[in-house]
Amino acid sequence: MYDKFSFAKGYRARAIFVICNTIFLILLCILMLVPILKVLSDSFDAAGNYELRFFPKVATLDAYRLILSTESLFRPFMISIFTTVVGTILALTISSMAAYVLTQKEMPGRNFFTYAILITMIFHGGMIPTYLVIRSLGLLNTLWAVILPMTCNTYNLILLKNFFSTIPQGIVESAEIDGCTPLMIYTKMVLPLSKAGLAAIGLFYAVAYWNTFFNFIIYINNPDLHNFQVRLRELILTDDFLQRGTFTIYPQTVQNACIIVSIIPVMILYPFLQKHFVKGVNLGAIKG
Amino acid sequence: MANSNLAGMQPGTKQSKMARKLFLIKKYMPFYFMFIPALIIYVLFHYLPLWGIRIAFYEYGIFGIKYFKGLENFYELFSSESFWRAFINTLFISGGNLVLGMFCSVVLSLLLNEVKNGPFKKMTQTIVYLPHFLSWVVVASIFTMILSPQTGVVNSIIKSMGGEPIYFLAKEEWWTPIFLTIYRWKETGWGTIIFLAALSAADPELYEAAWIDGASRLKQVWYITLPTIRTTILVVFIMNLSSIFNMFESVFVMQNPLVYKVSDVIQTYTYRTGLVQADFDYATAVGLFNSVLSFTLVIIANKLSKIIQGESIL
Repeated sequence: MYDKFSFAKGYRARAIFVICNTIFLILLCILMLVPILKVLSDSFDAAGNYELRFFPKVATLDAYRLILSTESLFRPFMISIFTTVVGTILALTISSMAAYVLTQKEMPGRNFFTYAILITMIFHGGMIPTYLVIRSLGLLNTLWAVILPMTCNTYNLILLKNFFSTIPQGIVESAEIDGCTPLMIYTKMVLPLSKAGLAAIGLFYAVAYWNTFFNFIIYINNPDLHNFQVRLRELILTDDFLQRGTFTIYPQTVQNACIIVSIIPVMILYPFLQKHFVKGVNLGAIKG
Repeated sequence: MANSNLAGMQPGTKQSKMARKLFLIKKYMPFYFMFIPALIIYVLFHYLPLWGIRIAFYEYGIFGIKYFKGLENFYELFSSESFWRAFINTLFISGGNLVLGMFCSVVLSLLLNEVKNGPFKKMTQTIVYLPHFLSWVVVASIFTMILSPQTGVVNSIIKSMGGEPIYFLAKEEWWTPIFLTIYRWKETGWGTIIFLAALSAADPELYEAAWIDGASRLKQVWYITLPTIRTTILVVFIMNLSSIFNMFESVFVMQNPLVYKVSDVIQTYTYRTGLVQADFDYATAVGLFNSVLSFTLVIIANKLSKIIQGESIL
């Protein structure tokens, strides 16, 4: 029993290490959470008192009410939701179809397609050429400029492809013999069998879309089409925002509340994400 | 795949190969259609921009390409002081971040690997992975609030101890260390995943044997654990090296004009010259130089790993 936890001679050094290690990791966890908890607590603060405390002196929900009732804060939130939902659905549809095609071993041109996709992981056009393409396509100042380029993430596509190739070939072949067309096999068999994988990749896409920031900055000038991330940064930098209306509230409280609002969807998805990402990262690492 | 059309033909002849190919193409026709949307996306947003790189060698006006001007943009680039400043900053910030990141993640994964209590390990992992999923904007916002000179908690502690408040993110001497620390806060936990997976592959019998032979824990880590994950460390290092010049959004959301001198990296420089000042051809040249550089770096690193390890990574 070389892992025994005991203070007897011979085990003592180990026991001390375990204790120190545990304390260190607990401190680390606290360090990870403190910034987020501080922002959370400050977002309820009504007294404008942002010192070292983790519970507001006087609590209020006014900051959140303000976000819901101020159009310049609420609209970016809706844009974020729109791009996330539409983007994720589109991205999942397009990438899963492509990924399934890449699992067809006999298909002429399959290798060509695979390499054509993999090459883009190494060679990028870069910021300006991509911008010029999007401009010449007439996509500037539309949400499509943000949604479309992200619909095919090569990394996610490869993960999906690996996932699809774990489906036993026998099932597919027997369906083929029964007279199923490839499209039927795909929609009626492959997709239902891959629910877990699709959910995982869908979550990856959703988080990516929700967190999109820079594409909005370069492709969209119209502030009415900016998402919550862009609005949040503006708010933090300038604090220019609002007619505060009927609310009397400190700007810092609103800023903190906005941070929390942009975190909430990720927090909701996080437990589901966590189930999948470890597998995803390792799978990608082996292939990459 | 038996096929009645082909049954009468000699296998292996040129003709039968062609026929088989045609047959397969016909058979897989629906799949080609399924691939079309992805193909369009890739051509539009990945391959067309690649073709667009050529404007680095042209004069680009409002109505598109005007005339060929060869390497002029690159001469301008190499003689530009702000470019070299951005270049040095990139090496310093991104390189520092790479080394620091590798070190922290390896150490943390070694420590996590020593935790034998399942639920505690799981909880720790859950918490340290979390910041990875927050966007850089959110992370920058959180720390802007916390480090704010007027109301931030850090400065209120400094004030209560009688010090002067410090505007951390606007002070040149503070910006880089603060940035690297925040980067570690966000990504260290995430970086451990891959090492933890590699660590779980270590053979437990080796440890037991070493223990019986009287090897101390540190010796076990040095002689068993680290060699097990050496390849992984190298792979991760090379993969991160390839993106060392791509550091962008993190810097962009945390910098401000007051600290351009220490915080401007190649990508933010590209953004400002290209999109803010609309000097498209010049910024494309910067981007091209950037890509060539990172590609060369990867090749060199790969060669190095061949020498050190006897096998290449890529």
